[in-house]
Formats: sequence, C-alpha cells, structure tokens
Amino acid sequence: MKGYGFLAGRYLKQQRRRSILTVLGILMSVALISALGTMGQALKDNVLLQQIDENGSFHFGYSKPAPDLYRKLEDSALIDKVGAVRTGAGTPLGPNDTVFVQEVNEDALEIMPIHLASGSLPGSPDEVAAEEWIVPRLPGKPKLGDEVTLTAPNGKPHAYRLVGILRNDRSSQISRSAKAVTLMADADPARSEDASGHVQLFATFKKGVDISSRLAEFAKLGDPFITNGRVLALMGESQDNGLNRTLNVIFGTLVGLVVLSTIAVIYNAFHISVLERIRQFGLLRTIGATPRQIRNLVLREATMLALIGIPLGLAIGWGGLWLTLWLMIQGGFRILQMDDFRLTFHWWIMGLSVGVSIASIYLAAWLPARKASRVSPVEATKGAGSIVRESYRRLRIPSLLGLLGVEGRMAANNIRRNRTKFRITTFSIVISVMLFIVFHYFTQQAFDMTVDRTENDKIAFTIAQTIVKVRSEDGKTPADRVSDIVSPGTMDRIAKLPGVDAAYGRYEMPSSTAIVPESVVNPDFSRKMKFHFTEVNFQGTQAQQISAVLQLYDEARLAKAEQWLESGTADPAELAAEDGVLIVQTVKPYNPDSKKRELLPLTRYKVGDRLTLQFGESASEPSTARQVKIAGILSQSPFDSAYQPDALYVIGTKSTMAKLLQAVPAEKRPMGTALMGVDVALKDGADAQPVREVLEQIAADIPGGQLINVVDRQKEERQFAVQMKIFVYGFLAIIGLIGSLNIVNTVQTNLLLRRREFGLLQAVGMTMGQIRKMATAEGVWFGVIGGFWGLLLGTALSWFLFSQLSRVQGIPFDFPWSGAAIASAYALGVGLLSVQGPLRRMAKANLIEELREDA
Amino acid sequence: MNVIETENLSKSYGKGSTKVDALKDVTLSIGQGEFVAVVGASGSGKSTLLHMLGGLDRPTSGRVMIDGENLYELKEKERAVFRRRKIGFIFQSYNLIPVLSVEENIRLPLLLDHREPDKAYVNDLIRTLGLDERRKHLPSELSGGQQQRVAIGRALAYRPAIVLADEPTGNLDTANGREVLELLKLAVRRFHQTVIVITHDMNIASEADRVLRLQDGRLIADTRGGMRP
Repeated sequence: MKGYGFLAGRYLKQQRRRSILTVLGILMSVALISALGTMGQALKDNVLLQQIDENGSFHFGYSKPAPDLYRKLEDSALIDKVGAVRTGAGTPLGPNDTVFVQEVNEDALEIMPIHLASGSLPGSPDEVAAEEWIVPRLPGKPKLGDEVTLTAPNGKPHAYRLVGILRNDRSSQISRSAKAVTLMADADPARSEDASGHVQLFATFKKGVDISSRLAEFAKLGDPFITNGRVLALMGESQDNGLNRTLNVIFGTLVGLVVLSTIAVIYNAFHISVLERIRQFGLLRTIGATPRQIRNLVLREATMLALIGIPLGLAIGWGGLWLTLWLMIQGGFRILQMDDFRLTFHWWIMGLSVGVSIASIYLAAWLPARKASRVSPVEATKGAGSIVRESYRRLRIPSLLGLLGVEGRMAANNIRRNRTKFRITTFSIVISVMLFIVFHYFTQQAFDMTVDRTENDKIAFTIAQTIVKVRSEDGKTPADRVSDIVSPGTMDRIAKLPGVDAAYGRYEMPSSTAIVPESVVNPDFSRKMKFHFTEVNFQGTQAQQISAVLQLYDEARLAKAEQWLESGTADPAELAAEDGVLIVQTVKPYNPDSKKRELLPLTRYKVGDRLTLQFGESASEPSTARQVKIAGILSQSPFDSAYQPDALYVIGTKSTMAKLLQAVPAEKRPMGTALMGVDVALKDGADAQPVREVLEQIAADIPGGQLINVVDRQKEERQFAVQMKIFVYGFLAIIGLIGSLNIVNTVQTNLLLRRREFGLLQAVGMTMGQIRKMATAEGVWFGVIGGFWGLLLGTALSWFLFSQLSRVQGIPFDFPWSGAAIASAYALGVGLLSVQGPLRRMAKANLIEELREDA
Repeated sequence: MNVIETENLSKSYGKGSTKVDALKDVTLSIGQGEFVAVVGASGSGKSTLLHMLGGLDRPTSGRVMIDGENLYELKEKERAVFRRRKIGFIFQSYNLIPVLSVEENIRLPLLLDHREPDKAYVNDLIRTLGLDERRKHLPSELSGGQQQRVAIGRALAYRPAIVLADEPTGNLDTANGREVLELLKLAVRRFHQTVIVITHDMNIASEADRVLRLQDGRLIADTRGGMRP
C-alpha cells in the first residue's frame, strides 16, 4: 500500500450503487455511440452495395468508344479495370420473348451488374449464363451443362454451353428481353476482326485515385461519357456531395446528443458524490492533501469507471448489434444486406467511440474534481453532514406548486435553493427528453423516406399477359372481347395460398382529366412550380383542367388503402353504393427554385365534394364528362409511386369505373374493367417457393401469360426495413434508459443528500406523508420544467434535422407529436417514480437518528 | 525556542454591515513542548485562531510564523505539504475517512506523501492508543472514544511539531475524555510536541501549561502554569 490512490477505489466501492449506475451510464453511451457509428456506416455501405448491385461498381464508361480507347484506358496508370460489353442481335423465343447474348470481358463480369443465382459465370466464349426466368424458354429447355444455340451479338448463331443462371431483373421481365452473358473472345474488343455488334466500355479507377478530380480528363476521351452517378455520390466522389453530408450531419447530431447525455450522467454522478464528500475532502486538506491530489483522486475515480465502462460498452454495442443480427438470421431473415451488416467492423468507429467517450467522461468529471480540489480545509471542522448550506434564492414569481399547500411551497423553494443543482437536474431531463424526441422524429422521417412507401413493396409476383391481338386490323375489336386474365375463383385461391398476404387485381384505365373549379385549385402549386394548367369554362364555371390518373381498386386494394385515409371512408360497399371515389390530392412536383421535389396539395377537395372527370377531347364537352362523389381522401397512393408529380389520383370500385367508362368511346377503352393481371403480396418471412410453383402453373394456363418474379429483391428490401426498425427501436430503448438513469440518479441523490434535513423536518412535526408529498411534488416539477425545455429544444433540433433531410428530398415538417407525447409522459413518470425509492427507504429508517452527530 | 509566533493576526468575515471580526490583532508566541489550552465563550474566535495556526484559512491581516516560516507566504500546495508534515489536527467530530480502516486512516498523511511509513513507529503508536485489536476495523465499527483515538493517531503519524485539537473531548464521556487528554499529554512528553487544545472543559484547562482566553476575537488573558476554575 503506497500512495493515496487506492482511496479512489474504496470510495467507488463504498458508493457501489452510484458507481454501478455510472458505469451503466458510460456503458450504454459507449454502446450507443459505437453502435450508432457502426449502423451509420453500415447503412451507407449498404446503400452503396445496393446501388452497386443495381448499377454495377464501374465508375464511368463510354457508350460509343473510339477504336483505340480500350487500349488507352488499359494503359492508363489511374485505371484499374476496363470492362467491355458487346451487345447486338437477340434470339427471339416464342411470340413475345427475346434473349440477348452480351459478350463481356472478365473485368466487366466484375464491375457490371451481373449476378449469378446458381452455376458459374462463363469462363470461355462458348459458355453462357442466362437470366433465370428465360432459362425454361430457351430452345431445347436446357439444364445447367447442356448445349444451347443462341444468336451471338454479331447476328450469327453460336452453340453455347449453359453454365450459369443469372438473377432476375424486373425490367427485363417486363420488357420481355432477357439477358445472357458470355465471355468475349478477343482480348481487345475494338480491334476484333469481327467487330460487328456494339461495344461499350466501362472502367474503374485504381484505389486511392481522387476520382472527382480525375473524372474530367476521362470525360474528354469519348462522347457520350457515362458516370455511375449514384455509386460515385455514395462513395463521396461526386460533385454533389449532399447525401454524404446529410448522413454525416444527422449521425453527427445524434452522436452529439448521446455524448451530451453521457456528460450529463457522469457530471451528475460525480457532482453529487463530491457534494456528499465535501467534508471528507476538507479533512484530507487539513491533513495535508494538496488540491491537485484531491482533484486527481476524483479523476482517478472517473478513470476507473471509464476502464470498466468503455470496454464493456464497446463489447455490448458490438455484441448487441451482432446478436440482433444473429437473432434475425435465426428468425428466417437471410438477405444479402445482412451479411454486409455483419462484416462492417470498422476500427476507426471503435477508436472514435473510445476517444469520444473518454473525452466526455473527463470533461464531465473535470468540474466536480475542480470543485473537490477547491474545498476549503475549514469545511472539515464544520458539523458532520450538516444541513447543506446553500445560497438560497427567493422566488420572484410564485410557483404553481404553491397551490399544493405548504408542501408544495416548500417543494418550490427546495427546487430553487441551489442553482447549480437545479440546472444540472433540469439539464439532464432536458437532454433526455430532447434526445428522445429528436431520435424518434429522425427515425420516423428516415422510414418515411426510405422504406415501406407503398404496398407495392410487398408485391413479390405479378401474373401478366401480353395482349398482342387486342385490336384487330379494322380497329373494331369490341372491348368486351377482352376477358379477365383469371377467374374470381382463381384470385380467391391465390389469396388463400399459405404465405400470401393478398392478391390484387391489375386493371387498365383510360387517361382522363379533372375539371377543377378555380377556387379548389391550390394557387401555391402554380406559383411555386411555375406551371399552369389549361383554363376552361365548364358549364359556366371557371375551372382548370388537371390530369387525373384513374385506378380501379378491388376490395383487396381498398383494404390496404384504409391506412392512408385522411378523411371519409374506403369501405368498398359504401364506395360502390354512392359511386364514390378516393382521391390523392397531395403531389410531389419538382420545384425549379429550391431544386428539389416538394410535397404539397394540388387541390383542396373535401369529402362529399363532387369531382368532374372529362374523358373527351374537348374539356368543356358535357357529354363526355362524368361527376363522381369524393368519398374519401388519402394522404398518398397505396400502390405504385406514392405521389404523382402534378396529377390527381382517383380511385374507384369496379362498378363506379364501369359507369365512368361509358363516357369513353369504345375504341379508347379496349380493356374495359377486365382483370389484366394479378399482383401477389407475400407475408413477412413466408416461403416463396410453393407460392411460386402454384402461380407458375396458373400463368402457364394463360395464353401469353407470364409470371414476373421479384420475390428476392422484394424480400431483401422489406427485410432491410424490418431490420432498420429493430435497430432503431433498440436505440430508442437504450436512449430512454440512459435518460431515466440520469433523472433517477439526480432526483434520488437530491433527496438522499437531504436526509438530515428531512430528519429535522420530522423533528419539527412534518409527517412522513407530508415529506412524501413535498418530495413527489419536487420530482414531478423537475419533470415538468425539464419536459418543457426538452420539448422546445427537441422540436427545434428536429426542425434542424428536417432541414438537413429536406436537402435530399422535399418533405413537409411534421411536428413530432408522438415523440413529444411519449417523452413528456416519460419525464413526468420518471420524475414521479424516482423519488419513491429513497422515500420508502427513508420511511423505514429513523430520520431523527440522522440529526445526531455522526462520523 | 518559539515554534509558533503570530503577529497582529486578524480575521473578519463578510462585508459592510454584515462584517464580523472573528479575530482581532492577536499576537502570541508558543514554545516547543508547551501544552496550551484555548478557552472562551462560543463565538469568541477560538476555532478561527486554531484554523489560522494550522494554515487552514487565510487571515485578513497579520502573519503566522511556524518554525520561523511565514505560513501564509507559502503557496497553497506548499502549505498543504507543510501541514501534512508539521501539523496534526484533531476534531471534535472525529472526521475519519469512512472507507479506510483504522490503520489506513492513521497512515493516511504518510500515504499522501507517497512515503513508506515507519512501521515500528506506527505500530508503537497504534499500541499506545490501544487500537491493536482494531487495526482492520472501519470507523463505523468503533466507539466514539476509539474513533477519537484513531484521529489522534492520524495527527501524530507524521510526528508533527504541532498538534492542534478543536474540542477533542467534546463528544466523549468523562472516562473517554480523560483518556484522550492523557494521550495528548503523553505525546507532549514523549515526542516533545507542542499541543494546542480548544476546550470548554475546565479540567483540561487546569492541566495545561498555559491557558489562552479569548473574548470577542481578542486575546484577553494568557495564564501560565495552569488555571483554576
């Protein structure tokens, strides 16, 4: 035993409860900071990977390169990979489908979006890999390893061996032109003797090259010059670095808030523990401890807590993330992104978390340590555990607490008696409330922006039919010739398949315009967007002609529309009964001034208003116009893209639409209200395979029918969303915990420090009930004050985050009501509950005892 | 030889109308090995004088010389080290560190100096104080008399030249008070230390070599050879 340093450990051990609380605070903060950093980075990595997945990892390319360009790029010291893709003639398969073989070089296999589903990538010019959906339609229905003859890009037939199956791409399924790749035979695509077909070049820079500054010199080498804009933007290499900066600002703000609350927790804990030991520090001073020694003693305590809390926090932050991921994988989530989340372990994030935590711990402990070092030795000679002498400030404005009688008045005085303590307690609550509101707001916004925008995201399969012969040569094919793609019974059967969430019908509706009276059009729209609708005079009313997107919704679709209903009803029976429609009048046009898409109402219809739809060429012609009643207003479109740029979205039932279609000349409504396709949405975590088999069967029975399969992509996207939700709510829970820890710590010690005082109050006749009332009033009042400021600052900070977010995408600012409500209730609750523990303990102990002189 | 000398020592608290003169122009000198009692009514400035002599608080004016060194010309840190090595304090409320054992409390001043304590001396001290059985006990496990003996042990651990005691027997019953007094006297004899005791107890005062009486911050009597009640 040498030196006085061991005292620090003894003190921590003695105040075990507070030490544990403080370590917990540090631990959770470190966990949160490191997890937040990891998640932020993972999110960024993920978005980048997703973009690379969709667009390939190339940095730039040339769609019409000069013959010598390939050599030039190959020889450039800055360039890593040069991918060449030769496209050309396709092989028609059946009446509708075509497969295009692309010849690519080895670099292109790496940097272009070519994704193997099974088998292997082509290793020679005689091997081919084709998209999954086209494989069964290839001539001879080849299996992996079988020979298949396809048209090469040069237009000549070539016998390939099928070695791989590529992942399906939605656009290729819709356009019915499948992709197949083979290896390019010639080393230099431009010099090939057999140069027929069209060659494109794509290249990546070497690692370490400053891409944004070098891009310009490569742009001069060929025209048109292509850049992989979104990938470059995410790499932080594009001129427009907005997304990166926004992500940094947002995560920076969140980490900053967590750091602030860490500081508050630690400052609180140390401040109180120093206040409690003033006399002991005084004593140490009388026996000759220097101020520096005492300061070091306190800082040493901080060091010990940091040494325990930080490594544990890192372990728990990382372990928590890992565990969550693991649990999700166990729970049947198996997606591409998951693996990436698992892999992103960044030392710099861990290092930075440690650095930030250490800095905030010392920052927080510094002031209490200084206070301890400045304790006058005379303090030691004062009576033991004296009723703390404080500079009492009389309240100028009588507090509301005065209404609670004498206990309330005392509580009001107690709250104000020590300005520092008042400030630090309020500060803790404010930070916690603020953190909660901001985090809650931010995550909600982030969701709205990135995930689950419409029900379309859940659609995994689409059964569609290519209508080739709808119109006969004379253009007289009657509309009623087109029949439903499947029977209602089949629809029902699909909807009831295990794992299927819903089966939605797809219908084709003719285009239409809405004749909107002048007074109903939102004037802001034209003013902001510098866009004017055609003025018309319709039956004596001055009106504007606005595009209307008509949609026929079956019951399954209407059921989903319910969740976006702002007013009115989406009940299919009611809609059908009164020929009512649902409208989406919120649009998201591009604002040329702010250079971003902005959300605003296009019209100001209310439920019950009548909407005039014009189906004819002439806007003012009454015979082709129809009126419908607006039965409900939706905040966004439930399917397809959530908002139109400048059109009304009008949803009606089959019967309503059938009536409307009578206004349309027969040749313009060839499909009528016939069922044109089926969209099938799966339940979360459902096994797609059996559903797919049934649907393939159904599709095979339909002439020209095909099954568009996006289950993999859809599953990945959806699970990513669920995953984000789990993380975010995990974060919110931890933040709530840190906050409560802070409040509990402050309020409780505020009371425990005054045990003697409570003893005195009992001695002069205050009952325990009165003391309880007084202390509870104090706790609640702290909650009220802290909640008030937290609300104010939290909203302000939310607004700041909003302004950052809206750089990326125009969104309206929603006041964070839900977060505010939760946070306020939580502040009050914690304030109320935190005083109960110490009060119970005090009620058990004989407080009068406290009055006696003790060591 | 004088260990302590003060010159026009004054201390006042507050300002203006609330100004209180706790000590006014106190000049005195105390020799080595003297056992001095300071008496006076409550608020007469006894404790303030003791604080000034121990370098705990700054005087408003005047100076304090200990072993020829002006205490208040030293820097805060030097004064702390000086206090650690030259002065031992004993308080009415024993003021022990609750998280340290008896032995650790006694050795604390040495530990602050990062010094390995003179084991034989510390053991001797602990035995003399009758705390041999209680070495490993925490203050909360001791009686009042025992706690005060620990405090005395701590004050003597560094073999300081001066021991300052502020009503050391105030919280003790007669028997324990007697014992503490005997220990202090023993210290004077055995280690040739200077002991200054503030007391209300006329028995203690009567056994002192010298009694200083304070009234309203002024030294009004300085009696040698003890004092009769």
